[in-house]
Formats: sequence, C-alpha cells, structure tokens
Amino acid sequence: MSASPDDRVRRRQVATLAAAVMRRSLLGRGALPVLLLVAMPLTLLLLRALFMPDAMRAAPTRATTEFAEAFHYFLLRFIVFFANALVFVRLFRGEILEQSFHYTLLAPLKRELLVIAKYLGGVATAVLVLVPTTTLSWLLAYLPHGAAGRSLALSAEGLGDLAAYLVIVCLACLAYGALFLLAGLFFRNPMVPAVLFLGWETLTPFLPPYLKALSFVHYLASFAPVPLSSRAFAVLAQPVAPWLALVALLAAALALVALAARLARGLEVSYAAD
Amino acid sequence: MSGDRIVVRDLSKFYGEVLGVNHVNLEVRPGLTGLVGPNGSGKSTLMHLLTGLLRPSGGSIEVLGITPDRPEELFRLLGYCTQYDSFPAGATGLGFLRHALALHGLDRAAADERAWRALERVGLVEAARRRIAGYSKGMRQRIKLAHACCHDPRVLVLDEPLNGLDPMGRAEMIDLFTTLAREGRHVIVSSHILHEVDAISDGVIMIHGGSVVAEGAIRAVRSEITSQPIQVLIRSDRPQVLAARLFELERVVEAKLVGDGGLLVRTRDADAFYTELNRIVLATGAEIETVAPADESVHAVYDYLIGEGAGGGTT
Repeated sequence: MSASPDDRVRRRQVATLAAAVMRRSLLGRGALPVLLLVAMPLTLLLLRALFMPDAMRAAPTRATTEFAEAFHYFLLRFIVFFANALVFVRLFRGEILEQSFHYTLLAPLKRELLVIAKYLGGVATAVLVLVPTTTLSWLLAYLPHGAAGRSLALSAEGLGDLAAYLVIVCLACLAYGALFLLAGLFFRNPMVPAVLFLGWETLTPFLPPYLKALSFVHYLASFAPVPLSSRAFAVLAQPVAPWLALVALLAAALALVALAARLARGLEVSYAAD
Repeated sequence: MSGDRIVVRDLSKFYGEVLGVNHVNLEVRPGLTGLVGPNGSGKSTLMHLLTGLLRPSGGSIEVLGITPDRPEELFRLLGYCTQYDSFPAGATGLGFLRHALALHGLDRAAADERAWRALERVGLVEAARRRIAGYSKGMRQRIKLAHACCHDPRVLVLDEPLNGLDPMGRAEMIDLFTTLAREGRHVIVSSHILHEVDAISDGVIMIHGGSVVAEGAIRAVRSEITSQPIQVLIRSDRPQVLAARLFELERVVEAKLVGDGGLLVRTRDADAFYTELNRIVLATGAEIETVAPADESVHAVYDYLIGEGAGGGTT
C-alpha cells in the first residue's frame, strides 16, 4: 500500500527538520564543544598507546578489562552523557537564544511532529558522533598490544564486545537524548538539571535497588559485555535482564518525548523572557 | 460562517499581570487592513496571537475557519512577517526560503522554483546566494517578506513591514501589498507611519492600550466620531462669499479661510452640508474647484480617537 500525500508531506517535513538539526549540530557553532569532548577519550587512549610500558604491551587481555572500565566510568558516564546534553539541549534552546525559533513555529506542521523530527535529528547526530568515537577508542585500547591485540580485537568475541558497547551507546543516545530534549524545552538553563542528573547517575552504584531503577545507567549496564568489579560501598543488586532493560529504556525515552511533545503544544515565542 | 474572514472573539492576553490585549473583538474581510496604534499598544501581541506564536489568556481566534492551535493547517494559508530581525545562523537568502518551503512538504525542484519566484518578487535575486547576516536592514526586511509570501498564502500578517526600507523600496512593497490584496487575499499590515497605512488600506483597526478603539473603513470610522465635526476643504474663486453664507447654516461649526482660495468648513452633518452647499453655490454663482473631506484619513481619526499624546511615535 502506497503512502498518502499527507504522509509523504509529513515524512519530508521530518526529514527536512532532522537534516537541519544534523547540519547545525555537526557543522554549526555548536559542533565545536561536542567535537572537543569526543576528542578527549581518543587523545587519552592515544597517549596511553604511545607511552605504554613494554610489560603492559605484552598483556593484550588487559585491554578487555581496561576498556570495560574506561567505557563504563568515563566514556558512558561522561563523554556520552555530555555529548548528548550538548546536542539535545540546543535543539530548541539554541534557536530560542538565536531568536530564530519563530520561523520553525511558522511551518505547517504539528508541534508534536516538530518535537519528533528534532529528536530524530538529535539521535542521528549523537549516534553519528559517538559510534565512531567508541569504535576508535576500542581500537586504540587493543592496537598498542601488537599482533596479539589485533587478533583479540578482531576475534568473534572481541567484535561481539564492540557490538555490545555500540548498542549501549545507541540506547544511551535514545534515553539521554529524550531527557535532554525535555530539559531544553522546560529549563532556561538546561545544563543545571543535566549536571544534577549526572550526579544521580554517578551515585547509582551506591543507591538501594529500588532507586537504581530510576537511573539510565543501571539499565545500560545490563548490556555490558565484560562484568565490572564492584566498587567499595556499592550496593549490589540483581542485574536487569537485557530484554527488560531494553523495554525500560525505550519506554522511558518514549514517555519523555511524549511529554516534550505535550509541552511543545503550549510553546510561545517571547524572546524577551529568554 | 467564518470561512472567508478572520474572526476574533473576546480575545485577551496577559503577561502575568501585564496587559497585552484586552477583550478584543474583530472581523477582518479580504483586502488590505491597516493595524495602527502607538508603540506598546498591543499590535504585535495581536499579530502573535493570530498566528499562534502566543496563546491567548481568553477568547477565540479563527483564521478562515482555522484556529491557531492547528499550525499544520493554519500555515498552509497564512504567512507572517514578524518584527524580529534575526535569522538562522549562516543561512543564505535562497537557503532560508528553500528550507521554509521544504517544511511545506515541497520537493527540491518545487521549493527552488517558488523560492526564486519569491526572491524575484521582493527584488533579491542577485543577493540570493549571499548570507543574510551580510544583508542590509532593507534587504533583511525583504527576505522576511519573501519568507511570509513564498508559499502563496491567502492571509498575510505583516508586522511593520516597511521598517528599514528606502523610499523606493517602500513604494515597491506597498505596490506588492496592494496587488496581493487585489487578488482577494487578507493582508494585515501594522505600521506606525499613518499616511502610508492611509494610502494603502481598505480598512483600519486602531488599537490603544490593548483595546481596539475603532475598526472598519476609514470613512465609516470617521463618521462614527460624532464628537468631532467633519472637516471639508473647498477650493473656490470666491471663498469669502461662500464662507459668509455657509456660516449662517446651523450645522456649520466653523468656516475658515485657508491659503489661496481655500475654505475649511467644520460641520456636524456632512450629508446635509453637501446639500446646502450645492444650493449656496447655485445662488452665489461661485466656481468650485474641489470639495474634499479634510479629515477622513487614518491620521485624523487616529488623532481624534487616540490623540497625539499617546506616545507612540507615530508619524
């Protein structure tokens, strides 16, 4: 069955807006902080590769555990988190601060569709930046270990680990993206709630199980291919089954986007107030 | 049936405790309508409400039968040129219009064709590929107008569209507005330059302190201001004789000689005055060059209703 003319128009509108988001986020002024942020893990891993002691080079299996720690505590909780914050809070707030948001609101499309289009553009941007960053970081973790490191990285197990990390990154983009999209609509300075949420995510290991359920990282950890060593004072909890974690993350993202769409219906243009 | 009109009922907007517009009722028919009032009177608020950029605190709006909370339908038939002088970063004139038209669902070829047509209409073809950030104030005004009318809307809402344009540009844009209005569209133009509104408008909406103080054709609005006698300017070869005879009429409040051969008469009943004037002209044998109303203008009506001291900076 072919799409109706209205559906075709809606698809074109969503594609136009999503492409505009990607253009602005990747090529506009807002791109620099994101690119500097993702350059951090790459630079650190490159320095590690350059100055790695010979004894460490000869132990390629260490790369697996070291990358798992680096991914969980640095890449996911800091780089992926803030890259999403930078991309998504600007989706609306950027245009409002630039005082060009009214042009978007003067387009013949439902506000709900506008939110969905911007969200999809943001997800595409974040994935486009963070998937290569994660892949390169992963390669930089293994390659310094020479031929043994390369063969470990390219083994079925190694590639399986990489796929799991990329799934985590994509799911993080969906979930954090929805949260920051909403924050960008609701708060004049969305980085404040972003930092507060980072604090909450960082505290997750020490929270009782019923509060862990309110953090994204708790569900994202379910896809981790390499188990992490427990931290001191951490409260142990039964890990969530991957299928349940997937449902929880997607449901949370959907709920947050739906809430953003509902808020967007009441949006007004009053730049003086912003 | 409001299918061919813009209907506003009991519309109010408050910014906290600050009044934007207050219990506004309007009915706008096709043609060119001037929206006049001093700065801060509520013109831009009213236009934002009409286009859904602001939500009303109370009341209702229908633009050709469509409410502003249905943007997917409203902006197919409405174009809005706001007062904001800001644009998406890095946009060129052509890119700006292409993007707007793509959001109307047009494919690249159709969007290109319409964008070029709109650029031609506002005289920006040569600057089309230049960044808007490098445009002059007048060019930015033109690209906003192109944005408002590039999708061929039936309703155009234009907030101070002549700001920043040079005299030639103003004349071209006024010509464009009158052409669009003659094509049967609704063109609502806000301006504080009253003589321009006067020259182009079929009707006028006067707003002051958030309330509409007058609405309709200028002549009708003027005739309703009974507190102010109507002024008629007569040019004749014997103005003194006419003045003496006219002054005897009960309805004539004042007859004053002005300039060379001019006689300014103020009367409380224009229709009766014109009848009497014919009789006096026949009786005296004076030759009449012109007889014209002297205060059936937006400017005069504005002064009567709002007053020069309204602080709006109107000219």
